[in-house]
Amino acid sequence: MHEKITQMLFSVIDELNQLRPPEEHLQKDLETPLTGDFGRLDSAGLINLIVVTEQQTAEKLGIPILLTDDRTMSQVNQVFHTLGTLADYIHLLLQEKRDG
Amino acid sequence: MDKQQYTCVLVSDFNLQNFAGYVANDPEFPAIKVITAPFGQPVSTLLHKDLPCWQNTPDVAVIWTRPQSVISDFNALLRYEQVALQQVLQQVDEYSSLLVNMSEGVRYAFVPFWVLPSYRSVFGVLDMKTEIGLTNTVMRMNLRLAENLEEASNIYVLNTHKWIERAGIHAFSPKLWYLGKIVFGNEVFKEAARDVKAALRGMLGYARKLIIVDLDDTLWGGIVGDVGWENLVLGGHHHLGEAYIDFQQALKSMKNRGILLAIVSKNEEQVAIEAIRKHPEMVLKLDDFAGWRINWQDKVQNVLDLMTELNLGPQSAVFIDDSPGERARVKESLPEVFVPDWPKDPLLYPATLLSLRCFEMPSLSQEDLDRATMYFTENKRQELKKTVRSLEEWLTRLAIRVQVEELHPANLQRATQLLNKTNQMNLSTRRMSEAELMTWAEHKHHKLWTLRVSDKFGDAGLTGIVSLEIQDRKAQIVDFILSCRVLGRKIEETMLFTAIHHARALGIEDVYARYIPTSKNKPCLDFFNSLAPRFQQKGDCFMRDGKEPFLVPEHIELVP
Repeated sequence: MHEKITQMLFSVIDELNQLRPPEEHLQKDLETPLTGDFGRLDSAGLINLIVVTEQQTAEKLGIPILLTDDRTMSQVNQVFHTLGTLADYIHLLLQEKRDG
Repeated sequence: MDKQQYTCVLVSDFNLQNFAGYVANDPEFPAIKVITAPFGQPVSTLLHKDLPCWQNTPDVAVIWTRPQSVISDFNALLRYEQVALQQVLQQVDEYSSLLVNMSEGVRYAFVPFWVLPSYRSVFGVLDMKTEIGLTNTVMRMNLRLAENLEEASNIYVLNTHKWIERAGIHAFSPKLWYLGKIVFGNEVFKEAARDVKAALRGMLGYARKLIIVDLDDTLWGGIVGDVGWENLVLGGHHHLGEAYIDFQQALKSMKNRGILLAIVSKNEEQVAIEAIRKHPEMVLKLDDFAGWRINWQDKVQNVLDLMTELNLGPQSAVFIDDSPGERARVKESLPEVFVPDWPKDPLLYPATLLSLRCFEMPSLSQEDLDRATMYFTENKRQELKKTVRSLEEWLTRLAIRVQVEELHPANLQRATQLLNKTNQMNLSTRRMSEAELMTWAEHKHHKLWTLRVSDKFGDAGLTGIVSLEIQDRKAQIVDFILSCRVLGRKIEETMLFTAIHHARALGIEDVYARYIPTSKNKPCLDFFNSLAPRFQQKGDCFMRDGKEPFLVPEHIELVP
């Protein structure tokens, strides 16, 4: 599942890069910083990341998730620190849904 | 394609940052620098022409608003308060005036029409009732807006519904709205950005003018050389046959809009022509094609030969062929020819053709509508040429008549179109909107003439422009533009006669033309070089004594 989540997030990055000049393209790498001191996303970029990730999780993994609830927002800097931390968080959410 | 970066001002009451991102970072020509006007203040932005965003005459402005933000009475309707429709439309009139006023400060303005999110229809079946339904009201507002904006030739109302339809369920995103005040999903912005860029390409003179099609499995199903014309899949009660008919009808509609059609096909010419002539379901007739190359030679060479025959450059052509190999070969050898990816499934041919974004034109003139006929008559001229002994005899027998007119509202649209899309015989390659061209021509030191050309075979329409700028007893020929369809018939000399005759009447001492090179206008340089010694070259200028007469060619009849 983790590999599927990673591939899904890479396609999210492809989407976001269409909005950015080539020199500001995000790397398709789990170490890519998203927010925080070395983060590459401004607030609009984060909004797009959230919305596109929710859409693609539902479309590509078949399970809807919510990234704007209190739980996510209260730890926004941790969840969206890197692409890898976001992948881990989505993995956790999907695991919880599966476990009921 | 030119490397220039064009400026685009975005004015909106909602967050257009995503749209700006797509417009600025789309790799397709032309490059656009986006300037975002102060957020959420569309009316104030339209009113204040001294704002930084309006400085230096932006090339494009996109004014994209929600109806409730600029039409306050519509906002009341959203709260289901009672407001008379007439009152709402009056506010649309006032808003339209603002847009028309703003358009004087930009070259082109695009106004996506108003839409409501599809979930907003509380009254259900009453939604289309006049004075009750919101959708009904928005439609009337859009129609009123479009009618009001007709008076400004550089404003174009864009079809937002097309983008919403393509975006599907993600067209509206409440989440994007609440998180970022972004009204639409990104698919809508992507489609809008593509349309804006396509429109700008058309306005800059890069609209495609010619569709070159293959025959077998493209215009009809089957290989005519193998199965015979009687057994082609075309029409009848067959889903594929109907799709080929629709594809031909789509091509015919393009032709009726002024896009030329031509054939490049590997076939026996006689067999293919027989199929076109005899198959009872053929929508396209031989007369619909401006030319063809039907043989067994390399298609790249055939495309080049055809372009030469039609006097068009490769940047004018679209190449449609069912064979991926032929498409790849043309794409690689002739990168300026547009070779769209073509579906394997013929059922998708009509929709694929009709969704191409390369035929955008800022206006549609009578010359456009008559273009295919003009190429047909051109063939007759060329046939005559083969029967005479000299160029002079041919020109004399053509009985060419030229009508010279100053710029006026009736010929402004066509003159602007010619100015913006002529590449080869173009001295300075200026690109201007109708308003800019009229303003320039009305200046007291400027003079601009248009030339209409006809002969015994027909009317080629308004095909020439020449303009002068007078300064300190010198006259500069600023524009020298001639459509490729009448090149080489001494219309060029008639244009020079027009300008020089006027300069002499003013007692001008020197007349000169400054050649500004582009990648495509060498024919213009060659023409001025051929004028020696009547014009002397000095650097990038061609000069002559303004007092010396320049004669109108013998075989040209100037008509009032």
